[in-house]
Amino acid sequence: MQVHVDASDSRPIYVQIMDEVRRGLLMGTLRPEDPLPSVRELASGLRINPRTVLQAYAALEREGVVYVRRGQGTFVSPDVEPDEQERPRMALEVARRALTEAQRSGLALDDLLEAFRELSEESPESDGPEGGKV
Amino acid sequence: MSVARVTPILPVELGAGPFAISTKGLNKRYGSIQALAGLDLDVPEGGVYVLVGPNGAGKTTLLKVLMNLIRFDGGRARLLGLDTRKQGALVRAQVGSVPEDHSAGYEWMRIGRLLEHCSAYYPTWDQEYANRLAAKLEIDLTRRCAQLSKGQARRVQLLLALAHRPPVLLMDEPTDGLDHVARDGMLELLAEHLTDTPTTALISTHRVYEIEKLVDHVGMIRGGRLLAQMPTDVLRSRLRRYSAALPEGWQPNEKDPGGTLTRRAGLGRAMEWTVWGEEEKVVAELSGAGAHLQEITPLSVDDAATALLSTWET
Repeated sequence: MQVHVDASDSRPIYVQIMDEVRRGLLMGTLRPEDPLPSVRELASGLRINPRTVLQAYAALEREGVVYVRRGQGTFVSPDVEPDEQERPRMALEVARRALTEAQRSGLALDDLLEAFRELSEESPESDGPEGGKV
Repeated sequence: MSVARVTPILPVELGAGPFAISTKGLNKRYGSIQALAGLDLDVPEGGVYVLVGPNGAGKTTLLKVLMNLIRFDGGRARLLGLDTRKQGALVRAQVGSVPEDHSAGYEWMRIGRLLEHCSAYYPTWDQEYANRLAAKLEIDLTRRCAQLSKGQARRVQLLLALAHRPPVLLMDEPTDGLDHVARDGMLELLAEHLTDTPTTALISTHRVYEIEKLVDHVGMIRGGRLLAQMPTDVLRSRLRRYSAALPEGWQPNEKDPGGTLTRRAGLGRAMEWTVWGEEEKVVAELSGAGAHLQEITPLSVDDAATALLSTWET
């Protein structure tokens, strides 16, 4: 799983890490019982404060998404299902970004929707969770 | 364009602690120059605290005072509970330091010998770690100190600061002189170091963007005084840029939201405010005034420092 964080994102970095894990679950790149990178690995890989990683993992643990095996690390919970509310939430997030960009370019919502329709006709296999080829 | 009529009140208290470093009313004068003018600063234990401020703000003076390398005139400074003025040697034993200047040690000494020399001072010196750091930082142990470039000297200083795994790191422009690859390597090392060793770090720099993701607290000083200190999460949520399209007949001066630091006109009817305040309130004020909000973004620590330091009334 590749985790990306961005200091200029409006979300705090620990929230970005949590979202990346949720995204991994949704996309199927993270599955139950998969290990998460160690705090040391993730902190040094992303050049971020290890406390930020700890904060993200602790919050995910409280949500039941991951659990800690003593001395072995952090793992995805066995019974975790991709959160069905996660999909619309993420869609909303993407839509918000697109809309902001559109407004900045002086486009109306209808212009944007029309462009989406046109794009999805060009790549019909891209609608569906497994197709992600846009 | 600066429009701050009423300077917003910024946080200066970091709660009850515990603090690894704490100064109260610190004063230091060099002749006619007041380098520190009643500085109150607190660095939480385990925090990575970045100190920003214009040239001559007192950053380097503070770091030197904390190690008792220079005497101060008034106030007090504590590091891990020690009085820095009375217990200077004890304090220095607890500190890993990357100083302002780039002299790595005795000019005639080879780096390998310098490491042996320094290791004798620290009971906690970790030779195996020192070797790993030397390899990672690509330090040639057979070189003499006088032959080092600025960047190479910085790497040696960094090794010396980390290898005894001190509880406190004091770093003055630690990335100064490092090329891109070396800087990235240093950030990786620091992230690992912070994971493996319980550390409080106080870092002074003019280039926060280089270390921004490692930092969890920020302090801003000017004229030897503290303007603000807070967790970076607070800074990111409280200080934001609001872009909006304006309605016809907008009279900007009357309608700036409270806490506005700067207002910048864009093309045509676009306007951008930098505001210190709760996002909901600012949005309500702007929307209430008829502005059509388009984007809200947090500021990087560098941009935040520029916005706050340049609008601050002295």
